[in-house]
Formats: sequence, C-alpha cells, structure tokens
Amino acid sequence: MTTLDIADDRVVRAPSTATGRRATTYRTLLITLQAAIAIALLATWEIGASTGAVNTFLFSSPSRVGQVLVERWQSGDLLLDVGTTALEVALGFVIGAVGGSAIGLLLWYSKFVADLSAPFIAAIGSIPVLAIAPMTIIWFGTGLESKIVIVAFSCVVVSLTTSYRGARMADQDLLNLVRSFGGNRGTAFRRVVVPASMTWVVQALKLNVGFAIVGAIVGEYISSNAGIGHMILLGSSNFSVNIVLAGLALVMVMVLAFTLIVSGIERILLRWEK
Amino acid sequence: MSVLDITRVSKRYTQDGPEVLKDISFRAEKNEFVTIVGPSGCGKSTLFNIVAGLLPPTQGEVRLDGEVVTGTTTPHIGYVLQKDLLFPWLTVLDNVGLGLEIQGMRRRDARERARSIFAAYNLEGYEDKYPSALSGGMRQRAALMRTLVTDPDVILMDEAYKALDYPLKIQLESELLQTVRERGKTVVFVTHDIEEAVTLSDRVYVLKARPGEVVAEIPIALTTDTTRIDQRRLAPEFNDYYEAIWTSIGRAPIAA
Ligand SMILES: Nc1ncnc2c1ncn2[C@@H]1O[C@H](COP(=O)(O)OP(=O)(O)O)[C@@H](O)[C@H]1O
Ligand SMILES: [Mg+2]
Repeated sequence: MTTLDIADDRVVRAPSTATGRRATTYRTLLITLQAAIAIALLATWEIGASTGAVNTFLFSSPSRVGQVLVERWQSGDLLLDVGTTALEVALGFVIGAVGGSAIGLLLWYSKFVADLSAPFIAAIGSIPVLAIAPMTIIWFGTGLESKIVIVAFSCVVVSLTTSYRGARMADQDLLNLVRSFGGNRGTAFRRVVVPASMTWVVQALKLNVGFAIVGAIVGEYISSNAGIGHMILLGSSNFSVNIVLAGLALVMVMVLAFTLIVSGIERILLRWEK
Repeated sequence: MSVLDITRVSKRYTQDGPEVLKDISFRAEKNEFVTIVGPSGCGKSTLFNIVAGLLPPTQGEVRLDGEVVTGTTTPHIGYVLQKDLLFPWLTVLDNVGLGLEIQGMRRRDARERARSIFAAYNLEGYEDKYPSALSGGMRQRAALMRTLVTDPDVILMDEAYKALDYPLKIQLESELLQTVRERGKTVVFVTHDIEEAVTLSDRVYVLKARPGEVVAEIPIALTTDTTRIDQRRLAPEFNDYYEAIWTSIGRAPIAA
C-alpha cells in the first residue's frame, strides 16, 4: 500500500542518552554514599567497643558478630540454620504466595464464589501469625512442615486478595475484543486476566517476602531445632548479644536475597512494563 | 441480500430507563462503506455494541448474511474503537496476530501471517516493539491490522480516529479507504464528524438523540475516484452532502 506524505508519525521513543547517563551517575553517587555511611556507622561502633565507650556485653561489636558468624560457619551450624530457614521460606512462599495468587486469579471466573467467600477470607486474614503458630506446631509437629504452613499462612491472604482485585480490574474492552474473535472465558482468562493482573501479583509477592520471613522466624521461636529464629532464641537465652545480632544480620541478608529473587521474577513477568 | 441487516432495534439499558435507541433499521451491502453519523450521546456506541454482539437489544434483530446473530454467538465481525485495545504485554507482532491465534491458528502461523502485512501498513521494523513504544497513529494502524488480518465479513469502527490530530486522521482514513476498496470489505463506521461521513462513505445514516432514531438516509456519490481524503474533500458535491447531513441533524436539538 502506498502511503501519503501528509503526515509521518513514525516516531521512535528512545530514552535520551544524556538523561540515561545522568541517572546512572546519580545512582552511583547514591550507592557510594550509602556504603560510606554504613561503613562509618560500623566503624564508630567497633571503635566505641574497643575503647570501652560501648558496653560489648549489651551491644556487642561488628568484629564479635563477625567472629560468631565465622565460628558457626566452621562448625556447620550456620549453613544448617540458614538452609533450614531458607527452605521454610521458599516452600511456604511458593505454596502461600503463588498458590494464593492462583486462587485469587481463578476467583475471576465466579464473582458469586468470590463474594460468598469474601468474609471468610477476611476472617482468615485477620488472624495474627503469632496466634496461629502454636496451633500449627500441635498439628504439624516441631519440624519443617509446621514452619512451611506458618509461612504459607502468612502470605496467602495478601496474595489472594491482591490478585483477585487485579483480576477484577481487567479492562472490559479487552475482554470484549477476545470475545469478538470468538474466544471463550478460558481464553479471556489466559490472554487478558492473567497478564493484566501480573502487576498486582508481583506487588503482592514483594510484600510477602517480608511476611514469609517473619512467619518462619516466629515459627522457629515457638518450637524448633534449627533455623535462624532458633539461633536468635539460643543466643538470647544464653545472654549472648553476639549470637542474637549475628542472627539479625543473617535475617537482613536473607530478606535482601529473596527480594532480589522476586525482583528477577518481576523483570521477567513485567518485561513489557518499562 | 445485504451483508448486514439491522431491523427495528430498540434499546433501554434498564427497564424503566430512557429509550436510548428507537426503531433503528439500516443495512450494509457487500463492499459498502456505511457511516452512522449523529451527535454525541445519541446512542452510536450503544448501536455499535449491539451490532458487534456485545450487547443485547431490547427489541429487534441483527442479521449477518441473512442469519440472525442477536443473542446467539458472537458474529464474525471485526471492530476497531477509538481506544486501540492493544495488549501492552504483547509485542506489536503478537498483537496483530492475536485474533488469528484466538481463532485457533497456531502461534507460529499466526505470527508469520501477521508479519507478512507489516510492510503494507508502514509498520516494518516495529514487530518486536511493545505498543508503548508506538505513537498514537501507529497504534491505531496496528489495531486495524489486527482486525483485517482475520479477514472478517464486516468491519465496525467506532470513532476510531477521533483522538488523532487532523493530518494524521486524514492519512489513516485515506489508508483505510484504500484498503477496504482493494480488499473488498464491508464497513460500518460510526462517527459524530460530518466531514468524515461524507468523505469516507457510500451511504450515510443520520441519527438524532433522545431517543436515538434514524432521521435520514443519504447515499453519497462523490465524482472522484481517489481514496485520498484531502482530495475527496474537494469534490464538487461535498458541500451539498455536508449541508444535507447538517440540516437533518439540525431537525433535533444537538446534545451537548
Ligand atoms: N452502560 C450504560 N448504561 C446506561 N446508560 C448508558 C450506558 N451506555 C450508554 N448509556 C447512555 O446511552 C446514551 C447513548 O450513549 P452512547 O451510545 O455512548 O452514545 P454515543 O456513542 O453516540 O455518544 C447516553 O445517554 C448514555 O448515557
Ligand atoms: Mg460513542
């Protein structure tokens, strides 16, 4: 087909490289300063501890915490604790967050079922993890299973309700379009509802990283024989702030690691959303 | 026999609500370009949705190739709205092939068929981009390609080019007219724009508002063969047709 020369609207929208470069410089500056602040704080703490200005029995010191980590790494305890908690979080997260998202999306099929179950889902969502944890220990024992259940429980409602809300908000015009091509509800679900809800699903996944780790630690506090929560509990019952703080450091690293994994998943699921 | 035959269609959205459409009848012959023109709020989009099979009429029926399609299955009608309805999570290529895929074509074949028409619509090189990287005109082109590639019997368009700036609108309408003439398509075009109605159509139905009612049926015959809208605008009969439509709309108060 020949086109007229009346108007040419073939505009490519590439980000200007100048803006891109400025953004990168800004990020580098930010990260450098953040690292500097962290190091300064740790150094002040360490110096305070070595000069006696900081009471190391109550507040420990970076080198003491580091020493605990090295010792526990050598004894194999570190790997056991981190591995146990990571496994609980990962499995519970998959069951609770991914399963919850799937159920939330599937509820799109029946507004009736969704409305019917809404108060029950809200009721489940209102139970604090801390309150349900002892029960799961009774039902599932003190091992891995009970922690996985607690983690799944901590994630499921947020994922379910968020993804259902996303599914409900799918553009009716897009659904009509699928119908006009002869697609049925299943096609509409697959081609419109699921991809359109991904922004919401991912948002809930990100929130749930925190909830999942809290769930695992709480479960381990109640009863466990391994895990970071177990390690922290052990430290505090021995009045060893060194061990407690080492545990906290591990929790931070674990949150960071799981957040990075979810960010990677986000980049794959939402690669169209730049 | 007309390709599309709408008989005495009426619509109320609620039982005791106002009559949005009253006794609307119109037809479109094979390869005919029919425009429904009327003021905003006169029920054009309502009528559009009824013809597309997305909304049941309160009364009346829609026949496609002689078969009643009202309230049964979705008729094989392609449609293009002012909103381009491109899926933001699909590449332009997959968007264009979407209809084919939903109709059951294998993804590879749908992509191949979709790819084959990019050059003709001046979108070559944009196959693997996401819609967000396209300008408004390009998006509207892609939406039309997605419809045309499935080869529907009838194409419905609801104010498809309303949001585009004037030169671009003229450009895309020229392309549209050329395509539907080359490929022999029946088009029902809905608009509030009288100029658009005169330059594009073989026949125009004029609607008035509250209730939406057909007040005039005006066959258009411009003494020009070109598909360039800017040229068609200069045909000697243009002003008379424009005037005729304007007057028939004027019979009823124009809704704000
Ligand atoms: N879903 C709906 N429910 C109730 N009233 C509606 C609905 N859609 C449109 N209407 C009413 O029908 C009338 C015609 O609307 P519409 O078909 O959108 O007109 P147009 O496309 O010509 O501007 C308007 O008064 C509008 O308020
Ligand atoms: Mg409208």
